[in-house]
Amino acid sequence: MLDIQDLHVKFHTRDHEAVGGINLRIDDGEILGLVGESGSGKSVTAMSIAGLLPRKQCALRGAILLDGQDLLLADRSILRRMQGSAIGVVFQEPMSSMNPLLRVGVQVGEALRIHRKDLSPEARRALVLQAMADVELPNPEECYRKYPHELSGGQQQRAMIAAAIVSRPSLLLLDEPTTALDVTIQAQILELLKKLNAETGISMLFISHNLNVVRKLCTRVAVMQKGLLVETGSTDAVFHHPQHPYTQRLIASIPTRHGREVR
Amino acid sequence: MNYVIRRILMLLLTMLIVSFLTFLAFELVSGDVAQTKLGTEGTPEQVAALRHELGLDQPFLLRYGQWLGGFFTGDLGVSYYNPQPMWELIGPKLGVTLILAAISFLLITLISIPLGLLSYRLAGSPLDGLRTAFNQLCMAVPPFFIGILFSWFFGITLKLFIPEGFPSSIRANPGEAMTQLFFAAVCLSIPRIAMTVRMMRSTVIGEMQKAYVRTAISRGNDRRGVLLRHVLKNSLTGTVTFLAQTLAELIGGSIVVEQVFGIPGLGRFLVAEIRALDYPVVQTIVVILAFWVVLAGTVADLINQRIDPRLRLGGAK
Repeated sequence: MLDIQDLHVKFHTRDHEAVGGINLRIDDGEILGLVGESGSGKSVTAMSIAGLLPRKQCALRGAILLDGQDLLLADRSILRRMQGSAIGVVFQEPMSSMNPLLRVGVQVGEALRIHRKDLSPEARRALVLQAMADVELPNPEECYRKYPHELSGGQQQRAMIAAAIVSRPSLLLLDEPTTALDVTIQAQILELLKKLNAETGISMLFISHNLNVVRKLCTRVAVMQKGLLVETGSTDAVFHHPQHPYTQRLIASIPTRHGREVR
Repeated sequence: MNYVIRRILMLLLTMLIVSFLTFLAFELVSGDVAQTKLGTEGTPEQVAALRHELGLDQPFLLRYGQWLGGFFTGDLGVSYYNPQPMWELIGPKLGVTLILAAISFLLITLISIPLGLLSYRLAGSPLDGLRTAFNQLCMAVPPFFIGILFSWFFGITLKLFIPEGFPSSIRANPGEAMTQLFFAAVCLSIPRIAMTVRMMRSTVIGEMQKAYVRTAISRGNDRRGVLLRHVLKNSLTGTVTFLAQTLAELIGGSIVVEQVFGIPGLGRFLVAEIRALDYPVVQTIVVILAFWVVLAGTVADLINQRIDPRLRLGGAK
């Protein structure tokens, strides 16, 4: 469904390319993990898929095909039509990613308000409440009326996920969605993402520097280093038989509960 | 409820402090109203008699206490020069100034907010330098100068109003009075519009950097949607506070403009009464101004609480 071909991203303010020509494919219903240390270009890759890189400040080359349509060549208005309807995005910090002055329900329903003008307010509300129930927010009716600061961190991230899937996009981009959360909440969110993937068949690109998290969730993993893709493969293969030295070091650095390193 | 009580207490405290400071200032300033009133003709005996009659021979704190007691029982005292009841004396002038402030405030609000957003959109374009220069110019030119220019151009050249010819009361010639007040209000507004626009522009630029804006874009909002549905509301609390300060300052600012246009408002009256050492009138006006300033701040707080739910928590504490 998503096919990235030789993607280059260069910011005008930097000498080096942030992404130096990567090829990446996400199949229907797949959860692809994108790992790498900070500055390796994972987020930039996700942001270029989501059309969130400021076009004036960077140069993009290559192709990002979503169901055959090249997002890099697409007109701004066409891209906007896909943002929120075909592609949903969840960011790292749920609190700052939400508008503090708008009710949660309004924010969750925003993509519908923009893309589904045919819906009546009642129908939209029903879909919002459904999405909030899908992400297992307790008491959706009540959450609908609340403001972001009245939710806990985990609830905020659930609401952000609800907002990203409310218009049933085919691709969900998750940029370190669990990094800002504590470990128990992290596990709950991972379970939720798995469930959503199993129930709706939505494809996901899951970005994290936390290999344990990726291992629990993803079917396939891609490893990035300095803007390049150094290894791609099924989660099992990459974790048990890493080919690239960088991947080997990355996996060797995972702390385990026995204080030993995983092999 | 708690909030309302706290605000009322603050209001009373502010008025108390301000009135005391005014009283003190008059005490410290040289000059004697009895002497001023009687002129050089007055004999020392006459002056002493008048001082006694006005209660000026009593100690300072006692006099202040008496004024304060009167104030709380609704007795604002009587002007040394004019036996009219205080409200009949001040009321019409306050009315004129309030109209002037209201027109200015309306102009500032209605022009600054759209212009602030527009000014943001110009950021980075070649017109931006021109905008900055124009903005600086508007801020730098004092209202009295604009007032003189307006009197000359709209008054003398275009004959839209008669400079220094404000009717004896607004009712006597509402058309002429409102025309004068309108041009005076424009003079008063221009530098403040420029300040508000600049403030809004920097607020909007700051808000645009925030993470929620990226989220809004990722949902398919266009520029307009991001600006109007998300950023405007977030920029508004700062703007409301700023506008409230402006509203408070407008009364003070009107003193100068009232002088230039010859408008018989509160500011002009205040200056005259200070010169005449007419304490009771000055005290009353000063308390009205203090009330005005605190009121503007309170209204701004209440509006901001409507806009930002996070402030409602803080207010309940």
